[in-house]
Amino acid sequence: MRRSLRLAAFAVAVVALAALAAGCGSSKKSSGSTTTSSSGSTSNVQTSYSNGTAAKGGTYTIGWENSFGFTDNFDPTGEYLGNAWGILDNLLVRPLMGYKHAGGAEGNQLIGDLAESVPTPTDNGLTYTYKLRSGIKFGPPVNRAVTSKDVAYAMNRLADPKQGGEYGFYYSVIKGWDAVGAGKAKTVSGITTPNDSTIVFNLTTKTGDFNLRMGMPATAPIPSEVGNCFNGKPGDYGRDIVSTGPYMIQGADKVSLPCASLKPMAGYSGANGQKMILVRNPNYDQSSDQYRKNYPDMFKFLINSNADDIYAKVQAGQYDDETSSPQPKTIRQYVTDPTLKPRLLSNVGDRTWYLTMNLTQAPFDDIHIRKAMNLIIDKEALRKAWGGPLLGSIATHIAPPVMYNNGLSEYDPYSTPGHTGDVAKASAEVKQSKYDPGKTGKCTASACKGVLLIADTRALDNRMVPVIQADAAKIGITFTVRSINGAYTTIQTTNKNVPISERPGWGKDYADPYTFFGELFDSRALIPSGNTNYSLVGITPAINAAKKLGVTGNLNGIPSVNTDIDACQAKLGQDRTTCWENLDKKLTTQVVPWVPYLWANNVIIVGPKVTHWAYDQFSDTTAYSQVAVSQK
Amino acid sequence: MAFYIARRLFWTLIVVAAVIGITFVVFYVLPAGDPALRFAGKNPTPVELELIRHRLGLDQAWYIQFFKFIKTFFIGDQYGWPGLGYTFSGQTSVLQLIVARAPRTLLLIAGSSVIWLVSGVSIGIISAVKRRSVTDRAAMGFALFGISAPVFWLGLMGLYIFWRQLGWSAGTGYVSPTDSIGGFLSHMWLPWVTLAMLYAAFYARMTRNNLLETLGEDYIRTARAKGLSERQVIFKHALRASLTPIVTMFGLDIALLVGGAVITESVFNLQGLGYLALNGALTQDLPTVLGVVLLAAVAVALMNLLVDIVYAFLDPRVRYA
Repeated sequence: MRRSLRLAAFAVAVVALAALAAGCGSSKKSSGSTTTSSSGSTSNVQTSYSNGTAAKGGTYTIGWENSFGFTDNFDPTGEYLGNAWGILDNLLVRPLMGYKHAGGAEGNQLIGDLAESVPTPTDNGLTYTYKLRSGIKFGPPVNRAVTSKDVAYAMNRLADPKQGGEYGFYYSVIKGWDAVGAGKAKTVSGITTPNDSTIVFNLTTKTGDFNLRMGMPATAPIPSEVGNCFNGKPGDYGRDIVSTGPYMIQGADKVSLPCASLKPMAGYSGANGQKMILVRNPNYDQSSDQYRKNYPDMFKFLINSNADDIYAKVQAGQYDDETSSPQPKTIRQYVTDPTLKPRLLSNVGDRTWYLTMNLTQAPFDDIHIRKAMNLIIDKEALRKAWGGPLLGSIATHIAPPVMYNNGLSEYDPYSTPGHTGDVAKASAEVKQSKYDPGKTGKCTASACKGVLLIADTRALDNRMVPVIQADAAKIGITFTVRSINGAYTTIQTTNKNVPISERPGWGKDYADPYTFFGELFDSRALIPSGNTNYSLVGITPAINAAKKLGVTGNLNGIPSVNTDIDACQAKLGQDRTTCWENLDKKLTTQVVPWVPYLWANNVIIVGPKVTHWAYDQFSDTTAYSQVAVSQK
Repeated sequence: MAFYIARRLFWTLIVVAAVIGITFVVFYVLPAGDPALRFAGKNPTPVELELIRHRLGLDQAWYIQFFKFIKTFFIGDQYGWPGLGYTFSGQTSVLQLIVARAPRTLLLIAGSSVIWLVSGVSIGIISAVKRRSVTDRAAMGFALFGISAPVFWLGLMGLYIFWRQLGWSAGTGYVSPTDSIGGFLSHMWLPWVTLAMLYAAFYARMTRNNLLETLGEDYIRTARAKGLSERQVIFKHALRASLTPIVTMFGLDIALLVGGAVITESVFNLQGLGYLALNGALTQDLPTVLGVVLLAAVAVALMNLLVDIVYAFLDPRVRYA
């Protein structure tokens, strides 16, 4: 009896273990490349979605992963998070310049939003005059017409660092801007408002993309009677945004001025909160807005700490949209199920992901080593780590082709079969390097061993690092990997002297290549903390000393592209585009700061109740002003 | 006893201050980069970074920040006492944030602790009484499963089966009992059971082992010899002696869960204190981490004291000077 009991117990244990393994097995299988199968294909994945007639009404619910992550508590003056821009620009604010809230090249075309039209600069490109549309009003609790002075107020707020602005540097071309930043003036002298419907900007230098700069949310009008309640309190206005758009924060009609009695609007509980609810702005005039459709009556953005649950709820119809990143197993599920596939949507994200190499640190201070890295890295394997072809196309130069209206789409100076790397080509490049004195084709010098590589701690990084390590080892470079949560703050600190990192990605702020080159490669933008010119292009010993960058290494002979940037910045139209294309080629082949590997797509899954969905190319998010949801 | 309690409370303050001090030091010793950078945009100017550091109080030495924190804690701030400062990310009152999130964690602990205590002790008793039977084997098999199965896996499997497939659970999220008691229960029963399974398993084993040991004591043999029923022997004599380590464990487990039910809170989207602390750590939001650490340290210290007091009542041999 006892023996048979033991056997029975053993059998139960085996069955239990098998069940446990089955439960865990699916997750193990999903960790590899999953975008294709015998019955599924990533081709024909849609960029937009339509299922029935888009009608007014309903609530559009979005699952937001972990926390809002706002950079300035949703205050438009300092808010720099892409997802926040999608909400602000589609639903809450109307800057002078705007977009059609569509995907692709059409979505990056500038239109007049608060302004009647896109102006042509005068005075040899130094003056921009905007005429405001009539009939645009602020929502509650202000309830009055928007004037040019409200735009000027927003710009002055952006110029003052104490108000939390995070991209004021784009507007330093306006006369008098820097004086406000330095505390020497209260208002920007180069901004004038001759009447309530006209605002004029006088610049110090020709800036061909100035109209694009006036399309960012911080430039949208702010009523001073509310803005002044938050002087010196960056971020606090985010809970009391006065809308000029089709929606407002729920509860905006329940708060009142003056400042002493102004309470936060109930619909948004702060950056650490769990929800944001937007309802229709009663003062919004649809006839003034050709491109926003504004179908739902309400938008609910709900925080959810469980990414799997977000997708489960999307599939179950409890969420209509999400801001998370689908795991390979979720993508595989949608790609292989014909009933789900139409709701898997993929759009070009105007973003490059890359390995950054520090031009001052061995062995990457040798251009041949940097070129060899471009030739040896298996970019296809890195893309598989991301989730496969659905997640983007292989990057072959600095800025995505869409930034050049699809120019340079075939440009690949480091072409290898299937983008998997080429040992022979890479070795040939290494042989020309000073770190291969024996001309073996491998980096044999001690500087090539144990090179510090900074990685982040996400699952994606854990998949990518082994690929990079294995590939670099083929040309004799070995890494000491240091995984840091939030690796950006480390690689942005120049005195850390990080030789290489796999973490960075860069997306446009607006549809002009300047937003890539100006911040990433201009030595005048080098700063000790928060630096984004990770490769230290253009650094000299004098710059290092003057700006106290703390860089140690080889600072001599680092190429600079400042002159090229300035030349391109002054141009307009196709001349400008061609100029940026040439700079891209120069950087890719003559400076070689990066190994670009992915132009990422933005993959979004929508729920079964959605009847209409489009992508907003400007903010790289859902075009909330275009979506519609069934009310059944 | 009163003097003992007073002395313990004094040492509680010392321990909590030490915990806060260590947390401060850890934040500055670990090479996680400048927290101000996380709240600046792309390409912040040095002026902007300095303003952010000043606003967040990061421009002062860590020990000055520490003493300021201690001072605000005792004096309070505009949101009341204790003063726990403001989050870096949203300049939200940490005290308000903790007060808002605490009910989720406390209700999670309350519900699951009742389940694990009742089920764990019951299973342990049955297992001890029916030693080496099929019931005992099954109970210990459950204990092995409960201890071995990861909480996140249990949670995800539970959601898949009871929410997606059977519709017996309302899924993830939290509904306050003041809004809807039905909604509250339908959301909470699954996280209660999930969290309780691990602890029930430990308690079942602990109860079984202790009870078996106690049932072998001479006084139990005497009780049986005097003609007491087996029910009286177990529940009136043996169980009381067996429960003293259970009480200790129970108090500490509850205290640790105040800041530590991170996995359950994440899987079930409860966004309680554990999740708040985790998010704060990941985003280098020092005030948030400090607030939850402080609360957890106080909870552990006070529960320790409470457990010792209850111990004295349970075991007459224990007296405190």
